[in-house]
Amino acid sequence: MSKDEAVQVSDLLRPRHVGMPIKRTEDPRLLTGNGEYTSDRRPDRALHVAFRRSEHPHAKILRIDTEAAKAALGVVAVFTGADIADDYKPVIPFSRMPSYYATPIMALATGKVRYVGEAVVAIIADNRYLAEDALELIEIEYELLDAVNDPELAVAKDAPLVHELAQTNVLVAREFKKGDVKADLASAHIRVRDRFEMSRIAPLAIEPRSYSAEFENRRDSITLYTSSNIPGIVRDALSESLDLPGNRLRVVAPDVGGSFGSKGSLYPEEILLCVAARKLRRSLRWTADRLEDISSSSQAFAEIIEAEMGFDKDGIAIALEADVIGDVGAYSIYPWTCGLEPVQVVSFLPGPYKIQSYRGAVRAVATNKPPTGPYRGVGRPVSTFVAERLMDMGAKALGIDPLEIRRRNLVRPEEFPYRIASGIIWDKTGFVECLEAAAEAAGYESLLKQQRAARAEGRYFGIGLATYAELTGIGSRIAVAPGMPINTGSETAKIRVDSTGAVTAAFGVASHGQGLETTLAQIIADDLGAKFEDIRVIQGDSDAVPMSTGTYASRSAVLGGGAAKHASYILREKIKKVASHLLEASAEDIDVSGGFASVAGTDRKVTFKQIAKAVYSDMRTLPVEAREELEGSFTYDPINGTTAGATHLVAVEVDPVTCFVKILKYIVAEDCGRIINPMIVDGQVHGGVAQGIGAALYEEMVYNEEGQLVSASLVDYVIPSAVEIPDIEVLHIESESAVAGGFRGMGEGGTIGAPAAIANAISDALSPLGIDVSTLPMTPQRLFNLLENARTNVKGSQP
Amino acid sequence: MKPAAFDYVAPRDLKSAIDALVGAGGDGKVMAGGQSLTPLLNFRMARPSLIVDLLRIPGLSFIELRENTVVIGALTRHADLEFSDVIAAHLPVMAAAMPHVAHLAIRNRGTIGGSLSHADPAAELPMLAVFYGATIKVEGPAGRREIPAEEFFVSALSNCLEPEEIVFEIEFPVLTSHTGWAFEEVARRFGDFALGCIAVSLELTDNTVSDARVAVMGVDDTPRRLREAEEILRGAEGGARTALRFAQIVRASVSPADDIHVSSDYRRNLIGALAERAFNTAFARAVGAKP
Repeated sequence: MSKDEAVQVSDLLRPRHVGMPIKRTEDPRLLTGNGEYTSDRRPDRALHVAFRRSEHPHAKILRIDTEAAKAALGVVAVFTGADIADDYKPVIPFSRMPSYYATPIMALATGKVRYVGEAVVAIIADNRYLAEDALELIEIEYELLDAVNDPELAVAKDAPLVHELAQTNVLVAREFKKGDVKADLASAHIRVRDRFEMSRIAPLAIEPRSYSAEFENRRDSITLYTSSNIPGIVRDALSESLDLPGNRLRVVAPDVGGSFGSKGSLYPEEILLCVAARKLRRSLRWTADRLEDISSSSQAFAEIIEAEMGFDKDGIAIALEADVIGDVGAYSIYPWTCGLEPVQVVSFLPGPYKIQSYRGAVRAVATNKPPTGPYRGVGRPVSTFVAERLMDMGAKALGIDPLEIRRRNLVRPEEFPYRIASGIIWDKTGFVECLEAAAEAAGYESLLKQQRAARAEGRYFGIGLATYAELTGIGSRIAVAPGMPINTGSETAKIRVDSTGAVTAAFGVASHGQGLETTLAQIIADDLGAKFEDIRVIQGDSDAVPMSTGTYASRSAVLGGGAAKHASYILREKIKKVASHLLEASAEDIDVSGGFASVAGTDRKVTFKQIAKAVYSDMRTLPVEAREELEGSFTYDPINGTTAGATHLVAVEVDPVTCFVKILKYIVAEDCGRIINPMIVDGQVHGGVAQGIGAALYEEMVYNEEGQLVSASLVDYVIPSAVEIPDIEVLHIESESAVAGGFRGMGEGGTIGAPAAIANAISDALSPLGIDVSTLPMTPQRLFNLLENARTNVKGSQP
Repeated sequence: MKPAAFDYVAPRDLKSAIDALVGAGGDGKVMAGGQSLTPLLNFRMARPSLIVDLLRIPGLSFIELRENTVVIGALTRHADLEFSDVIAAHLPVMAAAMPHVAHLAIRNRGTIGGSLSHADPAAELPMLAVFYGATIKVEGPAGRREIPAEEFFVSALSNCLEPEEIVFEIEFPVLTSHTGWAFEEVARRFGDFALGCIAVSLELTDNTVSDARVAVMGVDDTPRRLREAEEILRGAEGGARTALRFAQIVRASVSPADDIHVSSDYRRNLIGALAERAFNTAFARAVGAKP
């Protein structure tokens, strides 16, 4: 379904890489154990760090005795928050949001501990074993404080405060309003409402967080290797905090084993390692163990949403109202703030629908749990869950098919660009096209038939739909997080041909599983005319480009790809000029392709190597003024960004005995614009859906009433494995976007659609019992309770 | 998450292993694959001063049919049981259960002696030992003794061994006359610890149950043989009524606990449903089997 008119004649003559399912060039090294993750780093005589973490959710630190630990075998140093207070500036997650309180980020807990797992003392020793032995020798005297666990109780006037200086547990409160919602709801033909909840979950990258702060005595400098997906942001923040200029503080994200958001913020341990490395003038290493990673990396969701939607008699959604409480945990994170997730829930709640009046209010509430942060899809898994449930509840109340009611409410092709009620503008995207494609691929009518047959046999068969839209590749005009003062709207590509004729392309974006080394090389191969195999992509290294932030918010194909296209063009023009001298032809007649420059229509050609030699080492061939450095550099800013959309369609069967949900069919029809590599796009969708299935059916961080984490291992925090993931059919609607290359971001979408589609499918399956799903994950226990209640109610109604 | 310091020995015979344990004065711990012990060490929930690794002892990994028993060496890996022709032919319930034992990598490392000694109430091998009425043979400073499986498991993660005793061999009687059997297990994910699990095998005489064997796990402190349930099956015919009655007895015989995954009510409900299904499967298999 690609638009052929977008292909130019010259494109057809050259080898095309964009659009081809090229195998990922990073995979051979990763799959054979030759990748280099942060914990593979072996800096010279590095010391190891271990953290003593709080076992209390909320307590005042009265006294810390580290004497015995300092004297323990192999211990080099022991630091408390007080010991390093003068060595760095706390990092403040600023925001221009009104009524926002920014909690400072300290390297170690200072004064109070605010969640179980918060780092209090750091031990630096010859190895991790000895460091952990010494942890046991630290004595900490605490005064226990009442823990704030329930965000709904935390907003009460007399609730204990997580941050006394904030004078409230509400760290942000915001409201979005358009039209007269009260009046429109009152005039609605029908209204549906519910209280929705998505549990706190963990992003759970398989590689835990890992840092290696490598101190270079000679230059009094630090290179921090970090398993981060925002190495650029980490560099800039640490430079400020440590008062260390960028040319003495290099931050590199080497191979990174997944993030899903958990490695997308600055962490206290990153500050601590750099502070301690500088103090001790030694290199330091730390890798979180699973317990540390699951209890101290940023978590997600934890939101309660009271929402109501009103429809007219034709099934047009006319008004939407929502009150959201986000349990954001103990601290605001850098740079996104604690508003990132809950505020996005209300900004995206109207989704791809033309709802005219809207009120969305949100409170981000501090509790004694780890901070929440970015999670694949940010805000939209939750907003989509709520909006799509309400859409289905409306359809049911009106007797309209769920597919049909979406047809009536989606923004239609002729209506773009469209500003939804929360203020977000969607550019032209295939909303309706995705819906229709998914329905057709699923054989929607035959699924309905199957459902009737299953119901006749007493089986619980359900069909669920979810449509959504997301803003991707966000440029400088829009803040990725509300009110955030740093620019995340541009990325740089620096592409050069060196004196050997080799092509090296440097980016600040930082792949942590997305395959950017492959896709960026595909773009460069086409737009520069280089041989794909000859292109080396450097990424995630603050020394490689002057400015960068990283890879997040589905931005790297759009921003990195756009920068690659422009930088390639600049370099290609330089190559053409040199080739025109060497081949004695006009630059306009030179074609660059496959690592050669040739005179169009002839067999006269020169290689990149010959061109490089002429520029850099052969002093006779070119006049001095024509020896221009073979480098193209460009910083690309898509200004607004671009919309991506999709429809998920899932068929499930609920087993009333095990209360397990079996996924029988899963279809995704998505529009990510022009596809760079369909194999990678499919892989991203598969992975995203798998993660969304986890959020819908399995994953839940359980904190008990005492504020202790009781799901702290992979036995108790259940993530789906390959066995639990069904076949996923992916359809592509390639409506090209207006940004360079026509790309749209797509790395998060799978996770956005899956929870909503599955919740709708389960509700549909159990509609004969009158069961509506309003809480996720729908674990066997929750389904068991719903089924038991339904059985009791049926019994109760039949005397 | 690193273990506290410990000494490590890997003796070449059972006697030396026992001597090493005696030398540790009750502070030694046997390792036989390490699939459960290693996490306990890393969490520092177990802090032995000495680890006695049995894996270098020759002759303790075998599966042999001796008359009407299958004898299994304590160091036999789960994967060897899973793919053994002897097990498939003579201990069909074990053959059906083995793929449910954790995950492939763990089955390649873990051993039957290790799993039995660890005594997890939701692990398949302890339950199979109880189901088959296995005899667990152990050796200690005072010599050898034989322990019936039902006496071996004391409570969750606890067995009746003295600190210096080591399991070296297990004898599983073959239920020769039982021609119908079933193994039903439900776990959150395939390979996880069971939310409910039941094994049933039946001897049929003239389409009537003449002998039955029933064991469950994941619903109590230890795996359990349900004699009362076995009793009500004797003399019963196949069909929905028997299956339902059997399910009721099974449900009433167990006392599961709540945990983070499911409630005791869920487990009780599930084990009943699994019992019903298992009886029907076992009965149909017995009827279909050519004696």
